[in-house]
Amino acid sequence: MRQVALLVAALCLIPACTQPAAPPAAARPSLEPVALPDLSNAAESVQSQVRARYAGLEAAIAKADTPSSALADAYGEMGKLFIATEYYDAAEACLENAAVLAPSEMRWPYYLGHVFRLKNDPMKAASAFERAIAIKGDEVPALVWLAEMHLTLNEPQAAEAPLGKARALEPNAGAVLYGLGRVALAKQNYAEAVSDLERALTAAPQATRIHYPLAMAYRGLGKKDQADAHLRLRGNGELTPPDPLMGELADLLQNASAFEARGSKALEDKQWSEAVAQLSKAIALAPNNASTHLNLGTAYYMQGDADRAMGQYREAIRLSPSFTRAHFVLGLLLETRGDDRGAIDEFTATIGGDPKNLDARFSLANALRRNGRVEESLTQYDEILRADPSVSQASFGSAMGLVRLGRYREARDRLEAGVKAFPDQLGFAHALARVLAAAPDDRVRDGRRAAAIASALMKAQRSPSLTETMAMTQAELGRFDEAIRWQREAIDLARQAGRTDLVPRLRDTAQLYEAHRPCRTPWADDDPVHHPRPQ
Amino acid sequence: MRRLLAGLLAIVASSCSGSQPTESRPSSTDSRAGDAEWFVERAAQSGLDFVHVNGMSGHFYLPEIMAPGVALFDYDNDGDLDVFLVQSGMLGSEAKDATPGLKSKTRPTSKLFRNDLTINADGSRTLHFTDVTDASGIVTTGYGMGVAAGDFNNDGWIDLYLTKFDAPNQLLRNNGNGTFTDVAHATGVDERSWSVSAAFVDIDRDGWLDLYVGNYLRYELARSGPCFGPSGAPGYCTPDAYPALPARLYHNERNGTFRDVSAASHIAREFGPALGVSTADFNGDGWIDIYVANDGKENQLWINRHDGTFENVALAAGVALPISGKPEGSMGVDAADFDDDGDEDLVMTELAAEGSNLYVNDGTGVFTDMSAPSTVGPTSLAFTGFGTGWIDFDNDGRLDLMAVNGTVQIIEAQRQAHDPHPLHQKKLLLRNAGNGRFEDVTARAGAAFALSEVGRGVAFGDVDNDGDVDVLIGNNNGPVRLLINQASQGHHWLGVRVIGPPKGGPYVDRRGGRLQAAQTRDMLGARVEIVRKGKPSLWRRSRSDGSYASANDPRVLVGLGESSEPVTVRVRWPDGKTETWTDQTVDRYVTLKQGEGK
Repeated sequence: MRQVALLVAALCLIPACTQPAAPPAAARPSLEPVALPDLSNAAESVQSQVRARYAGLEAAIAKADTPSSALADAYGEMGKLFIATEYYDAAEACLENAAVLAPSEMRWPYYLGHVFRLKNDPMKAASAFERAIAIKGDEVPALVWLAEMHLTLNEPQAAEAPLGKARALEPNAGAVLYGLGRVALAKQNYAEAVSDLERALTAAPQATRIHYPLAMAYRGLGKKDQADAHLRLRGNGELTPPDPLMGELADLLQNASAFEARGSKALEDKQWSEAVAQLSKAIALAPNNASTHLNLGTAYYMQGDADRAMGQYREAIRLSPSFTRAHFVLGLLLETRGDDRGAIDEFTATIGGDPKNLDARFSLANALRRNGRVEESLTQYDEILRADPSVSQASFGSAMGLVRLGRYREARDRLEAGVKAFPDQLGFAHALARVLAAAPDDRVRDGRRAAAIASALMKAQRSPSLTETMAMTQAELGRFDEAIRWQREAIDLARQAGRTDLVPRLRDTAQLYEAHRPCRTPWADDDPVHHPRPQ
Repeated sequence: MRRLLAGLLAIVASSCSGSQPTESRPSSTDSRAGDAEWFVERAAQSGLDFVHVNGMSGHFYLPEIMAPGVALFDYDNDGDLDVFLVQSGMLGSEAKDATPGLKSKTRPTSKLFRNDLTINADGSRTLHFTDVTDASGIVTTGYGMGVAAGDFNNDGWIDLYLTKFDAPNQLLRNNGNGTFTDVAHATGVDERSWSVSAAFVDIDRDGWLDLYVGNYLRYELARSGPCFGPSGAPGYCTPDAYPALPARLYHNERNGTFRDVSAASHIAREFGPALGVSTADFNGDGWIDIYVANDGKENQLWINRHDGTFENVALAAGVALPISGKPEGSMGVDAADFDDDGDEDLVMTELAAEGSNLYVNDGTGVFTDMSAPSTVGPTSLAFTGFGTGWIDFDNDGRLDLMAVNGTVQIIEAQRQAHDPHPLHQKKLLLRNAGNGRFEDVTARAGAAFALSEVGRGVAFGDVDNDGDVDVLIGNNNGPVRLLINQASQGHHWLGVRVIGPPKGGPYVDRRGGRLQAAQTRDMLGARVEIVRKGKPSLWRRSRSDGSYASANDPRVLVGLGESSEPVTVRVRWPDGKTETWTDQTVDRYVTLKQGEGK
């Protein structure tokens, strides 16, 4: 009896009495060895994170009684971290092991599919996604990605089945409809493609990427107008299904570069709040990174917080005084706030460090001209045109500067050249007509030519400004009755356009014509043409 | 406000999330008869002693990974193709020589090699190249990118245009006596920018070659450095971190100078970071158009409006973007009639994970993206392709595709193996199956195709004049490769050189400004129709541009397969006139001169 009691007591002490026994190490399935890759090019914090997790994996492996599920998790989490850090070979080995140890866990073959996708092996990726779907058939992201791999492999027929299943689960999911639309497009079933892609767009209007294949589908149907309309709307807004599993990867790395990368992605995706959040974290870890401050400033600005944006731009400049991009963007911001003096300083700093920055030089030129520093603006316009004669705005700005300085002959010559170089930019012809009609320099005026140019322009448009120019040409030719008629039309057009602010000046000019006097002021000093606004 | 928004949104520090490419499996279709390697590598053996130096210094400067181009052209008019190899050299103040075994410690330079081909009595070839750089007087300056070839002054001698990073481009005028003179400044084409591909092209059909220069990015070493991936690993930035530069179009003034017509022609109105350029008549109206492959931005198809201006119709034509609508890498490009329907189709190499793009022309200049159905896209997914070209490598009458590859982001497996230049990949050879699809035959092409290198420029031409296309490859920070074709044995062919006295009148002699009669030159842009009995015509085009930053043999080489019957050759000249030559026997080169046909 005592022996039986002892035996029973001993039996109850064995853990297997109450739990399934962990397979001993020797009984584990055959697994891939996973060596720690060379981490030397990764940030220190990332190295630490990877080493720590790897140490945990090693410990789990070494412990003979680690349950398969726990070991699978250890491999799987290691694999996820390797994906996040782009060590894909190591990730592959870990996830294969995790899948072997936990064959009923969908997420391990799912992540493996993404590893192969990222390694540009769509065939293996498709196989892995199929494995995931075999475990969990209603996983929509897996179905969508499987279809995506088939499309990549030019197998649109094979893509139909998983997308059909996905549609049955989520009939209005934009990503599913997008996939179906692209399948139809690949099969040249244009009507079906249009139907699915239009519905995808309705479901996800921010996914401007859809417009291009939709345009191609319309083109396939011979509907050019619709095709053109969608081409005009094309953009880079992506469309992927909501994917919590891949979302876990996005938050794995906690280093400054990772936050910066996530913040940059959010900026690209126009997710301003997310960009602010991620970039702020990046700065918390790496406060001396001027680029990150610049990007955070952008995110704040797009969020509508110009003050914070300015703070970040100034910080970027404080950290890196020669950071010309920061100077330029700060200048643009100051310009929009009406601080031209500050803007000029920043644009000047920009081109001081980056003389080839024609955008900054153009902004500087306009700001100078707007503030009456016309001679200086001409220097900048000339510099732009020397570097790139195709910058028509610089040519026009220069001509207007010359007008402002009373150098009408040069202005006329510059406008003539502009008409030749940019024949479809009618602003040059219009300005030339004005100068020829109303320049105070007798040697410059040519009423006939001015009238011919203005008449030709009138065929295409009829604006208060152009009508006013027409009046000037008629006055120059001594046809004051005609001039008065045109001037009155200009006044009417201004009223119709809601520009009652122009009316008093137009009336004053009309009175000149009534007194049989021509106009000798092509543009008033306060005319917007002399005050180029920030664009 | 709009400019502010555009400026803000454009300023996003790039992270370099590189993909990990894997090589595609070779096709498992039946192997072709014969055990001989289709291509054998003969650069060193033939005397092409050249190693490209990219000057990498650990700063991950983007120019490091973008060069070099190569050129095949007959500089001495002796009937065989000579070689020009672009050198880059040191970059930045801390550049170190990362090329092991580089013999000379002096500044590495671009090289000109003269082809001293000997055709032996038994028909075999002895290929030998002699470095004649010093004798040629060529002194290249700056960090070399690419090369274009064309006779810009109609004196009968092919000139070279060299593109650079941050140094003036050079126009090397061939003096006709084995020497060259840099006349870039004198002719007005010495822009200092970042230029990659260029093309000599007669845009106004006046018989004089004009010049298109594709510019890439506004990039300054002092303000540049690595970008960092999510793990903090440094790498090369992507091009969207920098503003693009406008292209240049120079009109040949017929007096030894060029005039910048970039603005007047409208070419400068829209631009992206241009890498590849191909000129051809895409809409069949008899005027040459210009296709520009832009890196990461929409590509451009500049249709010639016949009045000195161009219009970009790429979007409407379906060649701005692939079917996905996502702008892709777009490095190398080539145009040819691969489906024998008489129009020019386009192929373009892309980044890994994007797959090369094949755009099929409907004859009117409207294209359909057939990258996937043709298998060109799926087959090339693992590769980042650069130089590429339509070649009939086996002379079966169908144009095949070849591409050289090499990534722009570090391949982690190679870095893990401590590879000093972890960007290398194998080449790709796709055979045209004749049904709109292509077969990956890389595995059967020979050991040369198993070389994993950082391929960039590639030029195609018959270096040994044996009637098949050979391949000259420029590897980034690596040795030049010359692949001699052995694949076409048994198939017939016809080589056609189309020349003309350009109708543009006399040129200005370099000595003292005297006028000379315009000499015959290769009529770049001429279309050649091979009319065969009972079979569809084959269309080819005389061109030196296309591929990536490189210059090709302008001769037209047409594979004829099993047929040895004489053919009729019809040439549509760049000025629109057409002439015919009948009963042309095959398996030889013929020179057809404008004005001498029917």
